[in-house]
Amino acid sequence: MLVLRRLGQALITLAGAGVLVFAMLAVTPGDPARRVLEARGVGEPSPPAIAAMRDELRLDDPLLARFGSWAADAARGNLGTSWRTGRPVSDEFAARLPATLRLTGAALALAVGTALVLGTTAALGAGRWPDVLARGIALAVLVVPSFVLGIVILDLVVVRAGLGRVIADGTWATVFLPALTLALGSVATWSRILRTSLLEAGSATHLRVSAARGAGPRRRLLVHQLPNAAAPFLTMVGLGTAALIGGAPIVESVFTWPGIGRYTVEAINARDMPVVVGFTLVAVLTYVVAGLIVDLVCAAIDPRLRS
Amino acid sequence: MSILTRATPRVRAVHRPLWRALLARPAAQVGSAFGLALVLAAVLGPLFLPDPDMPDYADQLAPPSAAHWLGTDQSGRDLLARTLAGARTSLGAAALVMALAAVIGLVVGTLAGAIGGVVDTVLTRLTDVLLGLPSLVLTLAVVGVLGPGYANLVLAMAVTSWAGIARLARAVARGARSRPDVLAARMAGVGPVRAVLRHVVPGVAVQVAVAATLGLGEAVLALGGLSFLGLGAQPPTAEWGTMLAAGRDTFAYAPWQLIGPGLGLVLAVAAATLVGDALRDVTEPT
Repeated sequence: MLVLRRLGQALITLAGAGVLVFAMLAVTPGDPARRVLEARGVGEPSPPAIAAMRDELRLDDPLLARFGSWAADAARGNLGTSWRTGRPVSDEFAARLPATLRLTGAALALAVGTALVLGTTAALGAGRWPDVLARGIALAVLVVPSFVLGIVILDLVVVRAGLGRVIADGTWATVFLPALTLALGSVATWSRILRTSLLEAGSATHLRVSAARGAGPRRRLLVHQLPNAAAPFLTMVGLGTAALIGGAPIVESVFTWPGIGRYTVEAINARDMPVVVGFTLVAVLTYVVAGLIVDLVCAAIDPRLRS
Repeated sequence: MSILTRATPRVRAVHRPLWRALLARPAAQVGSAFGLALVLAAVLGPLFLPDPDMPDYADQLAPPSAAHWLGTDQSGRDLLARTLAGARTSLGAAALVMALAAVIGLVVGTLAGAIGGVVDTVLTRLTDVLLGLPSLVLTLAVVGVLGPGYANLVLAMAVTSWAGIARLARAVARGARSRPDVLAARMAGVGPVRAVLRHVVPGVAVQVAVAATLGLGEAVLALGGLSFLGLGAQPPTAEWGTMLAAGRDTFAYAPWQLIGPGLGLVLAVAAATLVGDALRDVTEPT
């Protein structure tokens, strides 16, 4: 029942996003047929050629029919034709998606690991120096914007000290610095949530019983508090994937990472709407699916959320 | 009359301790000091400084000195002047974004909460869809439609960031429907529209204003980030993100170019974060 309701919600959000995004595509000024032809090297497209391309892109169909065929195409993974290169958007994305997945995957792992360490340290030593230190680190990484940090790391540390490679090529060898930059923004929020929910779980009565039976603070934290604090933390991580996807264009641009985020920024500057819309759809889909998975996992591990 | 005169001080008594409790917290003190300093510097600074857009090709990439406290950029422009002009741009634009988002959120939320029924269902669905989408990604998409530029970026951010405010406004307006003073006004013959405008909206507006103020830090951050990508303010406009983008080729041997815009962004975000944290601690004691 909960699965069905949550699935319905996710579908409504996706449908809403689809309508929103198609509207953006439809209201963008300029003739897509002309742009595609020019991108394919036709200097001054003749009126018949434009008419033929308009027919091929189905631009003269009624709006509702266009939406229908566009949505059906998008559902099958066909995101249309780039107005800048004249090639299918899906092909352009497929070539760049591995780099972006590598970056966001590495950032997600780094962020979860660091947040776990900082959050549990702060909760274990609540009110004492480990807490103050961990919270200070969280606040510091929270207030330094990722692109400022990226610039400092890349343009000052790497270039001056001659460490690592300045040009990232999208492989595992160069992923650490961009992933760290991308991760730090989320670490702050996640570790703060984890600390709060650990402390909240620690105030439960059964923990006093557990302490009375001789369990030390470390055991209580790992065996009793952490599972209870897992649901809010996982929810935060699920929502945080949005921050990672949304932050990818900025971090990819700072580090010249050859992923879909940087490609999308180039597309925005060139007003290449099918690519922009394609990125939005991919990001929204990832976000909605991540949220769905997290909610279902939370319901599975926490009976209190099932009522 | 006697009831009214007695009622007035009691309302104030409810509000005052919140401000006092807030300002008693060191985090809120530091945060509001940062914010105040930034605003003062943005407003007053440019009056005492050289033209931020005036190039001086005899004095390019000069390190910080008595003449140029933060040094100069690759066109010999004074970086302190550009940083403070950038503060005007960034803070002004962020305030505009949040003001627009607050108005949209206030109208949508109050309509949904006060009218209820089908209007509520439709508006709440719309709000939920927007809240269910990553806002930075949506902003990028809207900028794609409108084209890069600072005015377009401000507009794009406003139309993608009102949903959270609308949800808050709806909750407050909904709660106000059954409040004794609103019911009393209705029974005294005040029309529904007037009752909402006079008795519901003021309470909603206070909450919305607080939420919008706390959103300023994030707005400054997003404006800076997207301008850094070339999607917002365009050179030669002095804006923190644009300044960071312009100096990138020369940072390695002229790192002082980072100080102004970097510190400005950090202070703005820190101010909003610290005050927001303190406010949450005061309003939701754990």
